[in-house]
Amino acid sequence: MINQIKKHLDLILNDMERSPAFYIWVSILLSMVAVAGYALLLSLIYSLEIFEFSIHVIWVTMVSNYVFLVVSSTGLCIVTSLGHVFGMQRYELVAKRGVFLALITIIFGMISIGAHLGHPERAMVFNALTPNFYSAMWWMGTLYTFYIVFISVEYWLLARDELKKRAEQAEGVERTIFGYLALKKLDDSRLGAVLKDHKLLQAVGAAALVSGLSAHNTLGALFGHIEARPLWYGSYYPVYFLLSASFCGFAWLLAVSIGTYKLKREEIPEDYMSLIFEMAQVLALLLSVGLLFTVYKMGFGLFTPIKVKPIMLFLKGPFSIAFWLFEIAIGTVLPIPILLYAVGRRNITGVLVASSMVLVGVYVMRYDFVVAAQIYPVIKNGLPSYLPTFMEVLFIGGVLGALFLTYTLGAIFLPLKEERHGHTA
Amino acid sequence: MNMAVTNIGRRRFLKMLGSASVYATLGAAGVAGAQTQRYGKLVDTTRCIGCKRCMSACKRWNKLEVERDEMVTDRETDLSAQNWVVVNLRADAKNREERTYEHWACQHCIQPACAGVCPVRAIIKLPRGNVVVNEKKCIGCRYCYQACPYKVPRFDFVKRVTRKCHLCYDRIPLLNYMKPACVAACPVEALSFDYKHEIILEAKRRVSKEKNARYILGLKEAGGTDMLTILPARPQDLGLVVAPRKVVNQNLDKLRITGAGFMGVSGLAGLMYTYATLTQGKNKRDHDQSD
Repeated sequence: MINQIKKHLDLILNDMERSPAFYIWVSILLSMVAVAGYALLLSLIYSLEIFEFSIHVIWVTMVSNYVFLVVSSTGLCIVTSLGHVFGMQRYELVAKRGVFLALITIIFGMISIGAHLGHPERAMVFNALTPNFYSAMWWMGTLYTFYIVFISVEYWLLARDELKKRAEQAEGVERTIFGYLALKKLDDSRLGAVLKDHKLLQAVGAAALVSGLSAHNTLGALFGHIEARPLWYGSYYPVYFLLSASFCGFAWLLAVSIGTYKLKREEIPEDYMSLIFEMAQVLALLLSVGLLFTVYKMGFGLFTPIKVKPIMLFLKGPFSIAFWLFEIAIGTVLPIPILLYAVGRRNITGVLVASSMVLVGVYVMRYDFVVAAQIYPVIKNGLPSYLPTFMEVLFIGGVLGALFLTYTLGAIFLPLKEERHGHTA
Repeated sequence: MNMAVTNIGRRRFLKMLGSASVYATLGAAGVAGAQTQRYGKLVDTTRCIGCKRCMSACKRWNKLEVERDEMVTDRETDLSAQNWVVVNLRADAKNREERTYEHWACQHCIQPACAGVCPVRAIIKLPRGNVVVNEKKCIGCRYCYQACPYKVPRFDFVKRVTRKCHLCYDRIPLLNYMKPACVAACPVEALSFDYKHEIILEAKRRVSKEKNARYILGLKEAGGTDMLTILPARPQDLGLVVAPRKVVNQNLDKLRITGAGFMGVSGLAGLMYTYATLTQGKNKRDHDQSD
């Protein structure tokens, strides 16, 4: 049996995936997941306090990690929908990888928020039984549930042809598994014809985009509604979240796809190469608009009496390093010239570096955004610094580890490559 | 158990019995009358002696944990999942010599922001005035804490739910037979409990009798609250959390903010469409090249 599995894997894995470096990478990720599992178990046995110990700063890393991941998911959905919803054929290349990434980022985002909630099991039941239509959180939860369903169907539709092909090429158990995954039996039925139609994919993609953007808007509104938190309150964040989702989506796609090609030591297809440089230009443009938004937020905040104190935490307070170094320099300003330079020189490493910098900057930005807002009005003299607990860091590491592990496995076993899909347009 | 029993008397009892039967007969009239039956708690901080008997009574009635040295007079305490009522010594920023004990708990807003944001309606405002968390329904998201202008609902990390003062909803429905535990325990009548309109009148009467200026917290703050506090100075001078003098998190305001977001969504969709249309030629070129 083991020999059979080994034989199958030998056919699938390339040289890089058989190398020791790959096994080390997978082992690191697995150990991160195991440690996170241990931390979660402890929190269930003892108290949630080992994750989030402050009763004043009550939303911390779990929430910021959730926000980062779901914003990324919406962004990836925005980028991929340019292809099969808005009819930009060149973007269809990135559809499979983009939609798969959107699916796993939202799922691990949900796991992150699930660990933050006191009773996630009740959330599912009472969300359906006693909804509060005035609560942005209810809308967010409900819309993201729809989004997950749509985005899963979208990926399945995109990958179906490839799965069928694999079923035909494989033998034995593998053939049965891929056959069931592709629902091959449906091919001769009327439903099979509908599934092959590009319009169905377009409709599901549009549904995913609409539900994703609406859910994302309510996520911004969730923070924007809170009048008791001056930094969050207002209509700025629902709008800014949309913009940041867009540049996050481009950055994820560029960083992950280029990274995968580089690590696998595979050559990037020519038509995808030109798309990479186009996406890099769009990313640079979106980052410049993002910078304008940040300038507006800070400027407007300084002239609004209730917002001055929280804004000053960023400009000249305990969050100034995170703001100036990570949010502004690494996350926004530096990537713009790097991207433009890389596009001019057609340098793929430059694009990889810049997009990874954007992701790091955005991750820190989410943490600041969540934590800094909670300092006023309760903590009178401001907060000198706030560090997440050790267990919290372990858990978040595990969530990110599981995300990368799922992607690694997906990149080996599932169709993600930049190829045009077989739907008849 | 500390239960102060009020002698309501034969006459009052018969009167209540009579009115109950009338309400039962008229039905709708009973519902209309419920508005005037809202209760409220009046805190007169100028009378408080800081004995913390209210804290201890609250803990006994609600079976909350007592921390070490917590009940020592003048010891600073913060609201928590085990501390639904706190008494702290506060000095007036403008007159450091004037120091009073502030009894602080959930203000029981008339239009509570916490209930408005709870995604599963685990927090409700009862017709009698209590804002109550249903601990069997709470999902532990802590959104109520973020939305509350006074930052009252605190998270219990062990039970994994939010807990706060519920104005002893499990005592007062008994035909005004029992007052909330804290009110019943107060030895100097710094706390009183009655119909809301009665406590407003009482608060104004007490303030008008005083020589020094007094501030009634809860008449306008957060759109009005069912707990009124007579303070010797403005809340900001005493270092208390200041709430805006209007309803917090109004539904219309929420709609405005969400609407702005949806305008952003449509703007983004428009930009995506424009991007797709403007660069349409590029698709063809790519196709030709790949062919």
